[in-house]
Amino acid sequence: MDAQRKSVADTELLIVRTFNAPPSVVFALWSSAEHMKRWMGPKGFTCPEMAIDLRVGGHYRGMIKSADRGENWFAGVYREIVPDKRLVFTFIWDNDGPSAGLEMVVTITFEERDGKTVQTLHQAPFRTVERRDSHGGGWSEAFDKQAVYAETIAKEHAA
Amino acid sequence: MPDLLSVTFSALADPTRRAILARLTTGEATVNELAEPFEISLPAVSRHLKVLEGAGLISRGREAQWRPCKLEPDRLKAVDDWLSVYRRFWEQSFDKMAAYLEELSEGERNGRPKKKRR
Repeated sequence: MDAQRKSVADTELLIVRTFNAPPSVVFALWSSAEHMKRWMGPKGFTCPEMAIDLRVGGHYRGMIKSADRGENWFAGVYREIVPDKRLVFTFIWDNDGPSAGLEMVVTITFEERDGKTVQTLHQAPFRTVERRDSHGGGWSEAFDKQAVYAETIAKEHAA
Repeated sequence: MPDLLSVTFSALADPTRRAILARLTTGEATVNELAEPFEISLPAVSRHLKVLEGAGLISRGREAQWRPCKLEPDRLKAVDDWLSVYRRFWEQSFDKMAAYLEELSEGERNGRPKKKRR
């Protein structure tokens, strides 16, 4: 069902990337503020500010900046932490802009393959806690299906 | 009042509604046709259609009984634009991540496991 797959893919983000390092090293790049400052942000941006409290329910906050786009703050809360395997956190832009106020959930999995790491990033929009709770199980069911879908795609990429 | 993008994402945050949109990419369809692949009642499908219509993702014909549903691609385009910004954000961050990993492993080969920072 190609049309269906496209429709699902169009509403969320899935990026699979293989790094030439073991999962413990790649995971470390996400779990230390000093490491994150070295790579966070697209081309032309630096990440001068990053503070993380790596525990479930712990917050992180950082800032990326570029000459023409100024300072951009972002923040979130860690939801799941499985060292070297899986990291789930919320992500929200902490300043005015088209995406301000829209919270997302970012799920990253790390899989060892021949000494390398296959890193899969899945990002889906997520409404505020109040609205999420008022929707009850409906949303979490949708999210489970998205997770399964992400795994399927990850396997296809691997094949 | 939530912003338009949040309304759109809210409407998309349901597998049945995404499947309905997928079906509509192949052309207009009636409620009955849309309900066919699902194990849910017609009123339930109608509720999903109301949400999709409210978010501007679909429009419906005027005839009272018939009312075929049609995909309105503009809102999906807005989602796609929004996602492409993030795609760039992460992909370019990961380019830097790969370069940084390279730097780290070179430091290790040179017997400097931790890069000294001034």
